[in-house]
Amino acid sequence: MVNVGDMLVGYATDENVRKRGASGGLVTAVLAAALEKGLVENVVVMKHINEFEAVPIITNDVDEVLASTGSLHSVPVNLAKYAMGRKVAMPAKPCDAQAVIEQAKRGMIDLDNTYIVGLNCGGSMHPVTTKKMLVAMYDIDPEDVVGEDIEKGKLIFKTKNGEEKAIAIDELEEAGFGRRESCRFCTLKIPVNADLACGNWGVIGDLAGSATFCQVMNDKGVKLLENAIEAGRIEVEPASDKAIAIRAKVNDVMVNLGSTLEKEIFPDIPDKERMQYYMEQMEDCIDCGACKEVCPVCACGEDSKCTMFHSLVDNYKMSMYHLVRLLHLSDSCIACGQCSDVCPSDIPITLLQSRFAIPSQRKREYTPGMNVDDVPPFFEVILK
Amino acid sequence: MIGNVYQTVCPGCNMGCGLYIREDEEGALLVDFMKSSPANLGKLCRFGMKLPHHYSKATSMVDGKESSVEDAIKAASDRLKGANVTMLGVGNTTNEESLAFSNIADAMGTVVNTGMGVYSELPTECHPTVGVGITLDDIESAKRIALFVDPYVQYPLLVRRILAAKKNGASVVSVGWKDLHLADENRYIDPDLYESELGLDSESVIIADVHPNTDPGWVKRMLNLALKTQAKILFMKPFVNATGVDLLCKGTGQKGIPEIMDGINEGSIKTLVILDSDPVELMPNSDVAAETLKKLDNLIVITSRDSPVNKMASIVIATEPLCAKAGSFMNVEGLLLNNSGEDTAGIDAMSALSQNLGGAAMDYQELHNTVLESIVKKFTKPKYKELACEVLDIGPFEEKKGNLIYLYNPFMWFDQSDDNDFVMVNMNTVNKLGLSKGGMIALTSDAGTVNMRYRVEDMPDGLILTAKKLPVATGWTTVVSTEAV
Amino acid sequence: MAEEGWEPKIVAFCCNWCSYGGADTAGMGRFQQPASTRIIKVMCSGRIDPLHVFNAFLEGADAVLVTGCHIGDCHYVNGNEKTEVKYKFLEEMLQQLGLEPDRLHLNWISASEGERFANFITDVTAKVKELGPSPLKPEGVK
Repeated sequence: MVNVGDMLVGYATDENVRKRGASGGLVTAVLAAALEKGLVENVVVMKHINEFEAVPIITNDVDEVLASTGSLHSVPVNLAKYAMGRKVAMPAKPCDAQAVIEQAKRGMIDLDNTYIVGLNCGGSMHPVTTKKMLVAMYDIDPEDVVGEDIEKGKLIFKTKNGEEKAIAIDELEEAGFGRRESCRFCTLKIPVNADLACGNWGVIGDLAGSATFCQVMNDKGVKLLENAIEAGRIEVEPASDKAIAIRAKVNDVMVNLGSTLEKEIFPDIPDKERMQYYMEQMEDCIDCGACKEVCPVCACGEDSKCTMFHSLVDNYKMSMYHLVRLLHLSDSCIACGQCSDVCPSDIPITLLQSRFAIPSQRKREYTPGMNVDDVPPFFEVILK
Repeated sequence: MIGNVYQTVCPGCNMGCGLYIREDEEGALLVDFMKSSPANLGKLCRFGMKLPHHYSKATSMVDGKESSVEDAIKAASDRLKGANVTMLGVGNTTNEESLAFSNIADAMGTVVNTGMGVYSELPTECHPTVGVGITLDDIESAKRIALFVDPYVQYPLLVRRILAAKKNGASVVSVGWKDLHLADENRYIDPDLYESELGLDSESVIIADVHPNTDPGWVKRMLNLALKTQAKILFMKPFVNATGVDLLCKGTGQKGIPEIMDGINEGSIKTLVILDSDPVELMPNSDVAAETLKKLDNLIVITSRDSPVNKMASIVIATEPLCAKAGSFMNVEGLLLNNSGEDTAGIDAMSALSQNLGGAAMDYQELHNTVLESIVKKFTKPKYKELACEVLDIGPFEEKKGNLIYLYNPFMWFDQSDDNDFVMVNMNTVNKLGLSKGGMIALTSDAGTVNMRYRVEDMPDGLILTAKKLPVATGWTTVVSTEAV
Repeated sequence: MAEEGWEPKIVAFCCNWCSYGGADTAGMGRFQQPASTRIIKVMCSGRIDPLHVFNAFLEGADAVLVTGCHIGDCHYVNGNEKTEVKYKFLEEMLQQLGLEPDRLHLNWISASEGERFANFITDVTAKVKELGPSPLKPEGVK
């Protein structure tokens, strides 16, 4: 019997899956079982492009699920896009899960039909930056990399010939490499907003490296686990108090680091200089619209206020598109960083947006993407 | 897997921007960002973002009627046998298809024209310098950058490279048509002063462009500037495989599209075979080009997409969409980029055509190997001597007259609609003509009149810029009279 | 600082039932007020989208006023409560953007409060005059 709130340690019963998965293969086995037993019709899995990049694909083939090993540090993607109108299970980092829940709030997907297996995340890395970092900092040929891990504040790369090299994340980030900027000030490291919160933090002793810590967050989480146990795909046991404490400690360290970095990343800009600052940051915008296209909380579709009332013929001092988006997202931005990732002019759009969203959300004691029943503050307009 | 994910390259220009094209169960296309792509890190411009609109599938036709590919190939073979054929392929498709096309040309005793007429005006030792540019990373480490293009409008993915260079301490001088935000200086000076005024040296980079309607004198001037200042030079190009197709068709006549159009008008060209190249889209004036093409006895189109020329073609041989093709592209910096697609319908069609015309059969792997052998090798750029060139004449600066200039960009090359239904003028023009806010400016040339909305930019007097093809244009620059409406 | 003799341009959104009446009353009562204001009448303040406010600023307004019926008096039951929710977001956003707070105001004015309307306009005009032209004003717009 599995109950909501359970803290468990488990692993895949299939030796192959257990070995290949980053930590015991529990997530892969749970997803495979969900598909196999008809709990869902489709599963979103990450298709391996290279060691540094994976793209989400939708599958109804159990073997394809088993063959996939999601790269833990791949950048976030707009998963809800693939869940629309489907009965689906998906692995998700905390921000991926936030995005899915925000889409559910906007009626784009049915959360009852969407199973989210959350993955702990200490931060993700951009593939090209990672390759450059490997050469510059690790002296490793990117082609030789076979695995990566984050442990005790260090980023570890494993190579073909079995060697490992670890460098402190602080050091990497000081040199301009390491995690994406939005990951540095993120404070949601354990996906407590998902149905299951899985990860290797708190997996200790003999099981270290070959089991997954799993917290059951809600009834859907119970279903996912019980289904996988019934299918004989996983085995679980209660986590020890020590394991639970260690997991909490790892999380605390990460969250504190995020809070500290937030102050560094967002230095105060005096009232009189802010307008100039924003104008300069956005002046190189080429109006491609990628930041909206990729935005995982936007549910407006192609014809929306930000695009329909924006025209290139208007030579405004600030673009209507950005003004509308800055306002529109101030209650809902989850700072996943995807807009910065895709900006062809390298505008740090997530950082700009966060300067509006963070104070706005804190003032209202609202965090987007945590609970589908939390109404976005701007929606008060409709509800009153 | 449900649906398909193609790793491919954006056909908007020769930058080589990688991207994913997703195809769902119903065949709907979606763009996704290929973050590990070296040229662009997955980032895309307006055109790239709108790419699904670009993939309108072609249908095989014979004399205006839908037909099977086989019948189209057969009909094409019948009409091409013994004919005096002109062939055009600008590089909107893979290296492998371009090579197959050029093999057909061999079989017929003719050559493939790439439409870049400027090459025939340049001594061959200059071709490699124009053909393959410096790497895009080189831009970021330049100390000074001279821009002769508008990166925001024309080659948007250059913007981040130039901004990165600025972060690394570079200064940027723009010698374009209008003020650019990212330039430290915007200069509008006499071309004779470039060498002395632009402050270029061996640590500098010149960014210019070359396309089917380029003024050859201008390219020579750029080459001279690079030669005299020792600056590195990068010529941007408009087609996804413009660099590859140039290397594959080396030594051919390199007839320009305007020359081909002249040939049709004079009656010396009666049969035209084109591979993914639509003169209606590529010529400055679509209507005039369409009229010209009607004079052909035979117009045979091999293409992956639906475009205006298909409607006037005698025969259309439809091939698979670009993203689905097996094959490779070469971008402006000489980087070979591979498609993940495995479809070879286009090559198979050309192989059949070749055999019908007495040429050899071709298969993909063989063509791919030839591509690897013949164009992927260390590029050598021989020295060239200073070239004589005319000063570019951009017309009179008369009262109420202006020079309409095309700011070529991917939307223009594919004649696709965008939010670009306006021209750019300076404040002086607005005041002189008494243009009202929200009003229009009328542009009149020999080709007619058009009323356009306008946007105010900082730029020299007498210029009118457009990022959209206009029916009043007669070339990439056109003298027009102006009036407030 | 603003040029000598410069007059600000202020866009005032007024609702049909209350604040527009207030403006009318101000005129009829011959209360002194500067000629800086351009009134845009909407049926209800709830119709005023932040987009309209952005548009006013981008087109050259030096200040924008959002006005409507007093809370509880809305002709459409609760339109002005919706205005309030949106306005708070807008206010915070424009402040973060760096626009001076004095350039954006929300005020509830009933049809009988002509003097209140006139005083409001006089007040805002004086403040904006001190601030000078808006930083969002396009080039060439006076």
